[in-house]
Parts: sequence; structure tokens; C-alpha cells
Amino acid sequence: MLSVKGLKANVGDKEILKGLDLEIGRGEVHAIMGPNGSGKSTLAHVLSGREGYTVTGGSVTFEGQDLLDLEPEARAHLGLFLAFQYPVELPGVNNTYFLKAALNAIRKARGEPELDAVSFLRLMKEKLKVLHLDDSLLKRPVNFGFSGGEKKRNEIFQMAILEPKLAILDETDSGLDIDALRIVADGVNALRSPERSVILVTHYQRLLDYIQPDYVHVLAKGQIIRSGGKELALELEDKGYGWLGAEEAA
Amino acid sequence: MSASPAVEAIVESEYEHGFITEIESDTFLPGLDEGVVRAISARKGEPEFLLEYRLKAFRHWQTLATPRWAHVHYPEIDYQAISYFSAPKSKDGPKSLDEIDPALRETYNKLGIPIEEQMALSGIAVDAVFDSVSVATTFRTKLAEAGVIFCAISEAVHDYPDLIKQHLGSVVPHTDNFYAALNAAVFSDGTFVYVPKGVRCPMELSTYFRINARNTGQFERTLIVAEAGSHVSYLEGCTAPMRDENQLHAAVVELIAMDDAEIKYSTVQNWYPGDAQGRGGIYNFVTKRGDCRGARSKISWTQVETGSAITWKYPSCLLRGDDSVGEFYSVAVTKGRQQADTGTKMIHLGRNTRSTIVSKGISAGEGQQTYRGLVRIAAKAQGARNHTQCDSLLIGDRCGAHTFPYIEVKNPSAQMEHEATTSKISDDQLFYCRSRGLTTEDSVSMIVNGFCKQVFNQLPMEFAVEAQKLLSISLEGAVG
Amino acid sequence: MNATPGNGFAPWLADDGPAADTGLAWLDSRRAQARAQVRDQGIPTNKQEAWRYTSLTRLLEQGFTPTAKAATPLEPRDLEPLLVPGLEAYRVVLVNGRFVPGLSDLQHLPAGLRVGGLAQILKSDPDALKDRLNGVAGEAQHLFAALNTAGLDDGVVVLLERGAQVERPIELIHLSVGMDEPRVAQPRHVVALEAGAQASLIERYVSLGEALYCTNSVLELSLGRDAVLKHQRIQTESANAFHIAGLYLSLGAGSRYQCVNVGLGASWARTDLNVRFAGEHAECDLQGLYLAGDRQLMDFHLDVDHRLPQCSSRENFKGILYGKGRAVFDGRVYVAKDAQRTDAAMSNRNLLLSEGAEIDTKPQLEINADDVKCSHGTTVGQIEPEQLFYLRSRGISAPLARRMLCLGFAGEILDCLTPEALRDQVAEQVGSRLEQAPID
Repeated sequence: MLSVKGLKANVGDKEILKGLDLEIGRGEVHAIMGPNGSGKSTLAHVLSGREGYTVTGGSVTFEGQDLLDLEPEARAHLGLFLAFQYPVELPGVNNTYFLKAALNAIRKARGEPELDAVSFLRLMKEKLKVLHLDDSLLKRPVNFGFSGGEKKRNEIFQMAILEPKLAILDETDSGLDIDALRIVADGVNALRSPERSVILVTHYQRLLDYIQPDYVHVLAKGQIIRSGGKELALELEDKGYGWLGAEEAA
Repeated sequence: MSASPAVEAIVESEYEHGFITEIESDTFLPGLDEGVVRAISARKGEPEFLLEYRLKAFRHWQTLATPRWAHVHYPEIDYQAISYFSAPKSKDGPKSLDEIDPALRETYNKLGIPIEEQMALSGIAVDAVFDSVSVATTFRTKLAEAGVIFCAISEAVHDYPDLIKQHLGSVVPHTDNFYAALNAAVFSDGTFVYVPKGVRCPMELSTYFRINARNTGQFERTLIVAEAGSHVSYLEGCTAPMRDENQLHAAVVELIAMDDAEIKYSTVQNWYPGDAQGRGGIYNFVTKRGDCRGARSKISWTQVETGSAITWKYPSCLLRGDDSVGEFYSVAVTKGRQQADTGTKMIHLGRNTRSTIVSKGISAGEGQQTYRGLVRIAAKAQGARNHTQCDSLLIGDRCGAHTFPYIEVKNPSAQMEHEATTSKISDDQLFYCRSRGLTTEDSVSMIVNGFCKQVFNQLPMEFAVEAQKLLSISLEGAVG
Repeated sequence: MNATPGNGFAPWLADDGPAADTGLAWLDSRRAQARAQVRDQGIPTNKQEAWRYTSLTRLLEQGFTPTAKAATPLEPRDLEPLLVPGLEAYRVVLVNGRFVPGLSDLQHLPAGLRVGGLAQILKSDPDALKDRLNGVAGEAQHLFAALNTAGLDDGVVVLLERGAQVERPIELIHLSVGMDEPRVAQPRHVVALEAGAQASLIERYVSLGEALYCTNSVLELSLGRDAVLKHQRIQTESANAFHIAGLYLSLGAGSRYQCVNVGLGASWARTDLNVRFAGEHAECDLQGLYLAGDRQLMDFHLDVDHRLPQCSSRENFKGILYGKGRAVFDGRVYVAKDAQRTDAAMSNRNLLLSEGAEIDTKPQLEINADDVKCSHGTTVGQIEPEQLFYLRSRGISAPLARRMLCLGFAGEILDCLTPEALRDQVAEQVGSRLEQAPID
């Protein structure tokens, strides 16, 4: 589904990703772990097409399509979804309006008919229920005035509505207390399906207690230096990153 | 060339008042015409190009009217009642401190500026201006070694005519405004600084201004040129003794920064503000402008204005070089009947130019304070940024604080933010400080200094201390 | 300065409007005085602070003249496309500045509310207007207020008696239709709410077709003690129109006034809002949204005079500039000596979206009392790249994302509009303007 080969990327003059390889199959959940500064968030941003990163080598294909040439919205149309580490606030932009516009843009791109207001509302109510979220969320401007936990939950809610094929969760666990973490993890688990792949980008093993990954990769100095099953995460928890020669970046 | 009647009779000044230096002074009779302009130039033995420049400016000045837009009120100035030249009578000009008239040095001591001590202790080069002519310049040798020129502008005219010809009036043209035109016509003396390519000036440069002789307009002219990659910090401090007549001060300061050059210009201005009824006091009508001509150049203005009856002053930056930076940090205090209309202009012309404006105005008594600023982002100034913060503090219910920002943006990538607040020292704040054992005055001083901290932080250390002291003294008795 | 001052606007001074022959000595003397002022004052230039950024050249070039001739009679069905769907209101319609009873809907006015044409009331009950006409605008210093007085013709009078509370909004529609020549209409409105009265006033400026005309309206408004008025002004004049509006407000003790201004139309528009507090504890809330697109000029001047203690005012204006659109915002908050415990906050935020667009903004504070809370803030910026990326990462195209963010920016002001029917219509108008806008 997603194939990353020898990916190199710079921020400014600095090379952050130094030849990264990653293969993700349909329905798989991959955790990408690594010390601060290892390039985890850069990978998430490069995959979603954020400005400010220059790809200097390698390739990324998503369901056979070259992803790197596509605009961010085109990647979303293909079924890519990034849950942001720091979701931006959109004052004045109503959450419902925003999601309806997004969903219909994606449906349109796939040649599906747009949803009318009534069906969309029904869909939202349904998803809110699955995720145990309050419907006051719908009336508020996107992320505006939200607490850290609310913003992360809103990301998961959007994921539920947009039903991506590949969701990248960028440090979704950061800044959450244990209760908020559980709610977010339950949400992600509820959305797991054989059709949907997930990349969990995280620094800590903690999140993996709640979301069981199929594969764990350790990213250090811009490369995947080790891959394994979920037991690798436990090993990391015990020994830290040091034993892999992946010290915290200076 | 014959001098006008006003100049023919040169009289000895009469000193009737206490705090006036007893020194032989050589002063023109009041009045201004072309003859006076020629006479000033002749007295200084200036080259022809400078006389031509003065005359051009004078002719232009005659076509101008006094600007009225400032938020200040004062009686009409009679420009024919002002004397346009006053110089200490010195036969050959002193070469060292020992040669300086003892009476003059005594004046500095009264003002708390012990020259030798300051020079010895702080290593600051001092170009003291007494009335209108420089009489002491020190540390010249050390600066000369670095290749830095630091001298009276009247000397520079003779010693470096090409530099003067090239730069004088290139930032503030003689047509700029009424006072700039007047200054260009009759400027008495001032300072010239030239920092060559790549040189970091080895010391802070400082000038102390002083106004003394009766009815004498002061028309200082300062020109600082920083060549590519150079760096200079210039301190200007002023103080004036008690007088009972208004004195006009119309200085012009021009700064030029080439590629990667940086000029930091700091002012502490504490001229006589007039008495409680508003009599006397200096009229301070100054034109200060910096030209960030080169890429990545930076000009930073910091001012602490506590004196003068009227201040009319807008140190500005022309941000022409790409990635150039302009800064303006200001504390202005008006009390009694003082009026200040001050601010800055940031003209963004180059790409990715940035400017910061922080203005702190404190008004007490019947003081009137106006911030007037212009931020202009031209159509081609891609990526320009400005942040402006204007805060006013009011002490007492008879003063005024006014904010008149002008913001003109023509580039769709510009980011401009302007914030202004007005507040007073709250009873709660005062009570809190006092309940901890502080006097009301100390409390006020502490709160006000806190209010101004952002600006004081920009001053060189020794000036910051002086500025804080000045602020406390200025506000003594401001809160009943 | 022009050698023959005032002449440029001399043709605006009509001699033969319906209100010209009232035979009222007090009115004639006010008009004569205004004419003299127009004559003596001359044409403002950019040397004058109030006209620093706004040139009158384009306005003067049009050669506008007033007309005594009524427009071709319109029928109520002509008006229909211009109405707000679902808005129930007492409706007063002016066509080219003249009150048209046939298009208005003033039946069943509740007790205590009087609405009528100015020319008509000057004839039938001049005493009702004697103290009110020019009572708030004063011996106006503003050129266009003086022109309006000098050329006084018709307008609307709304009087609400003590304690009267009117639920339904009063809707004032300024409809302009094209005439044989470029014409100027100068309606004059008088709105007065007596003590304790409450009402909602909706003013809409609309046109049929893309006619070239000029509107120079003056509205004098006074609120008595504890009166409450919500005033909404929606300007969607024709793309060729010139729009000038002067509001003169006097706010009595304890009164509350909210004004929501939306400026979308006209080629050249200038609005002056003048607020004067006439009693303590009054509140004034001025909200504004303006869009300026290709070759449009949108100029708002606010003058809020806190001459008395303990009043509060809010000024919150937002602008979206694109194409070669230009906007001017000049806001002044004046706090008089002894006007203690004044609370004033002014804000002007702008989105500058394309090359050639320009904003000149001048938020001013003049404070002469110390126990006050006064602030202003101004920003000029663009759509945040992070916000744009966020929307795009959710699959929304860049143009739609930009439009959504612009609408979000405008939303704060649009949300002040009531009832919902009005809000929805205006939001849609804003949205469709943005859709045409070259903001990519």
C-alpha cells in the first residue's frame, strides 16, 4: 500500500531523512519510534506534503501512485490522513461545515456523489457515538479554544468521518493524560479494519499499551535502524534507545 | 562678500543668571538672512560646496511654513529673534583637556559630567559640545588606530571633504521639512563618525550636548556612516541648565548603514523642561533618520526623553536593503506643562525587511504625550514584517496620552501588528508596594521602571542605569 | 487648493426638491447656512487628515446632479428579488432617495412607533422635526453632511415613544435605479428613540442593475435614557455606484447601541460614524466587515467621542482586500478630561490577499483622563499557511480552503447579524464575492 524507498529529505540545508525505507501493507498497524530529532515528524510531514521540506532522493508510492508530486489535498483524496501533533486552530470555521466540505471533496475526487446535509448529519452523529464524543464539538470552530485533549480527539473524529486508507498519527499521545490517551486509543482501535493501515509515530511505548502494533520500527538519524514485532517496543521501554546506538540527537 | 547688519555687530553675551558659565562667548546678533548664512560659513572657513549647500537650503526654507500637524501648542517662534552663531572664544582651539577653559570644565562638573573621570573610568570617548562648537575630542588616537573617524563635523568638512560631500544631506535632504531646511542652512557644528569596511568600533562613542548662551539656537548636525560589515554604537546625552527663555533646538541626525553594517544610536535627553507654569524650556525639533542602504544592515534607535518643553522627534528608518532591520525603542516622560509628539517612521522598501517599534509614554501633571508613527510597506517589499507596541501610562487626571499610528500596506505578503494600551498606576499596585514598606515615590518609580524595562534593556549598561535614575528624578512629586 | 472652492459640488445643491418649498424659516436658515459652508469650505484634499487616503477626484469627475424627477414607477414585485427571504419587518422603501409609500409596508405599526417620509412630515408636522433635524449632526463640519443639509430633499423619519418596544425590525431599503444621467440622491433620516424604547433597524442599500449613481445619506439618531437599538447596515450598492453615508449618533444615559456595518458594494464608498455620548453608563458597539475587490475603495471613518464618564465603546472592524481593492480605516477614540472610567477598545484587522491591494489604517486614541481602559490593535496579514495546509491535508482544494478561511475571518462580524435570515443572506453574498475574487 505504502512503499517508501531510500527517502532523503532536508529542512533548509539540513538533511533529516537519510535514505529511509518502509513498506506498509493493507490493514497493518506500524509504530515508528525513535528519540527526539530522529526525523519522525519530518517523515509524517513529508508524507502529507507539507511545505518547508525538500525531498532530495528516494521515492514514495501509495497504492502504486507517486505521492511526492501530489498536492496535499490530492493525497487526502487518495486516502491519506495525518493526525497532527499540533492541530492548528481555525477561528470562525465551523467544525461541521469544515468536515462536510472535506468529505465531499474526497468523495467527489473518487467519483462518489456528495452527501446532502441530512445524511452528513446522520453520519456525524453515528461517529460521535462510536467515539463517545459530545456533539457540542460540531458547533465549535475547528480546534479553536480546544484543550490539548479535545484537539487530539477532534483529529480522531475527523479520521472517523473521512475514513482514510492510511492514517498517520503524529505523536498523538504527546501531552495527553492517561484518561485522554485511553479515549484516543479506543477511538483508533474502533477504526481499525482490514482495509485501513495506520502509522503510529511516537516517542514512548505508552501508546502501544493501548494500540497494539503489528510492526515496530526504530528511526534514528534519519534511517530505520531496526524493525521487529511489538516486543521490540517493550525492549525499547526497558533499555532505552541507547543500546541500538540511537542516542538522543544533539 | 559683506555680512549683514545682524552679523556686523557681534556682542559679548551678558550673563545675568545663576547657572550660566562665565566664559567669553562670541555671538551673532539675532536675525537670519542670507548674509548670516554666508557669515556662518565664513567664520568656519568652509569650502565653497558647503556654502552653496547652506544657501540652497536657506532659500528653500524661506518658502516653507512652520508645520502645524503635531499635537503641541506653543507661541509662534520669531526666527528673526534668534541668534544663529555662538562660539566659545578660543584663540587656537584646545588640543587636550588641560587647554580647556577652567570655567567650562566647572560647568560640566555642575552638570555631573566630570570629563576626566568619565573618560578614565568608562573608556568612553567624549566629544563635548559646548554651545555650538566642539571644544574637546578625546580618544582620537585609539579610534584612529582602528581607522574610525570621530570628530567635529566642522573639522570633517576640512579633513574629509569627499566623505561629507558624498553623504551630507543624503538621508535627510535640505528639502525634507521646515526644521531640517533651517538646520541645513545654519547648522553650527556636530559630530561626524565614519567606520570603515569590516571594522567593529572599539568603544562606545558618546557626545554630550549642552545649551547655554542666551537666545542661541542650537543646530547640531550629526552624520554617521557605517561601511559594509562595520558596527558602531553611539550614545547621545543632553542636559541643560535653568533658563527662563525658550530655546530652539533643531538638530539633524543622519545615519547610513551599508551591507551587513549595524548602527545603534542611543539618546538620553534631559534638557530644561520649563518651570511649573510652563515658562522657559527647550523646544526640541529634531529630524533623525537612518538609511539601511545595504542588505542585512541594521539601525536601532533607543531614546529616553525626559526633558524639553516641547519634543518633536521621529527617529526613522528607511529599510532599503533586502533583509535590513529597523528598530525604535522609546521612553518619553512628560510632566508639568511638557509636550511631546514623538514616534518613528519605518519605511519598508527592500525584501524581507523587518521593523520593531516599542514606545512607552508616561504622562504626569499636565503633560501631553503623543505617539505618532508611520509604518509603510511598499508594494515591492515582499515579506516585510512589523511589530508595534505603544503603551501609555497616565499619572493624574489632567494629563493626556495620544496615539496616532499610520499604517500603509501595499504588499500582500506583509505581516503587520500594532497594539496600543493606555493604563494608569492602579491604587492596588501602589497599595501593594506600600504595604511591603516602600514609599509612594519609590513604588511609583519601581512600577514605572518596570513599565519601561523593555526599552531600558536596549540601552548600553551605564546608560540604562542613568536612564532609570533620570526617570525616578523626573517623576518625583508626580503622585500626590 | 482649487481657486474656486466649493464649485465642484455646487451642482449637488438642488433648488426644487419636494422639501424645497416648506416655507419653514428654521429649515431655510439651516439650509442657507449649509450652502454657505459648502461654498466656503472648498474641496477637501489629501492635506486634510480626514481625506489623507481618499481622493474625491473620481467622485467629482462623474458630474453628478440631483433630480426632481421621480424614477419610473416600480411595482412591489420589482422589489422582490432584493428582499431578504423570510425577513419579517416594517418596511420603508426609498427609491433614489425618495420615500415611496406604495412599495413600503407600514401597515399595522404598533403603538408608539411612527414611521414616515421626511418631506411629508415636514409638511404635516414640522414641529416633530424642528429640534431633531440637525439636532445631532449639528452645524455639521463634514462637507457631505453640509451638502446633504443644503440639498435636503426627502428621507425617512422613525420616532419611537417612551418605553415602546418593537419586536419586528424596521427595515429601511435604499433602492437605486439608473437614470438618464448620473444622479446624486441625498436622503436624510431622523431616528429617535425616547427613554426606555427598544427597536431594531436594518438599513440596506441595494440597486437594480449596475447603474452609475451616487448616494449621500445622512442619518441622525438619538437614543433617550436606557433606550436600546440594534442597527444593521448592509451596503450592496451597484458596482458602479458611489456611496457616502454619515451617521450622527447621540447616546443618552444608560442607552445601548449596536451597529453592524457590512460594506460590500459600490465602486467608491465612504462611511463616517460619529458617536457622541450624551449621558453616563451608555454602551456603544460598532462592528464592521468590508470587502474591497478590483478598483473598489472602501473607507470607514469612526469618531467616538467619550465626553462623559463611565461609558464604554467597542470598535471592531475587519477587512478583506483583493484584486486592486483599497480600504481605509480611520478610527478615533477621544476621551475628554474628566471622562473617567471610560472603557474603549478598538480593533482593525485586515487580510491582504493580492498584489495591488492596499490598506491604510489609522487607529487613534486621544486620552485626557487617567482612570480609563483604552486599547487598540491593528493587524495586516494573510491567510496562515498552517491553516491552509491543515484544510488541504483534509482533502479541501486550495481555493475553497482560502475561501473558508476568509469566511471564518469574517464570521465574527457576520455572526452579529440577526435574524438568521439576514445573516445567511449576507454570508452568502460575502461567499459569492470571494468566489469571484482572484485570491489564489
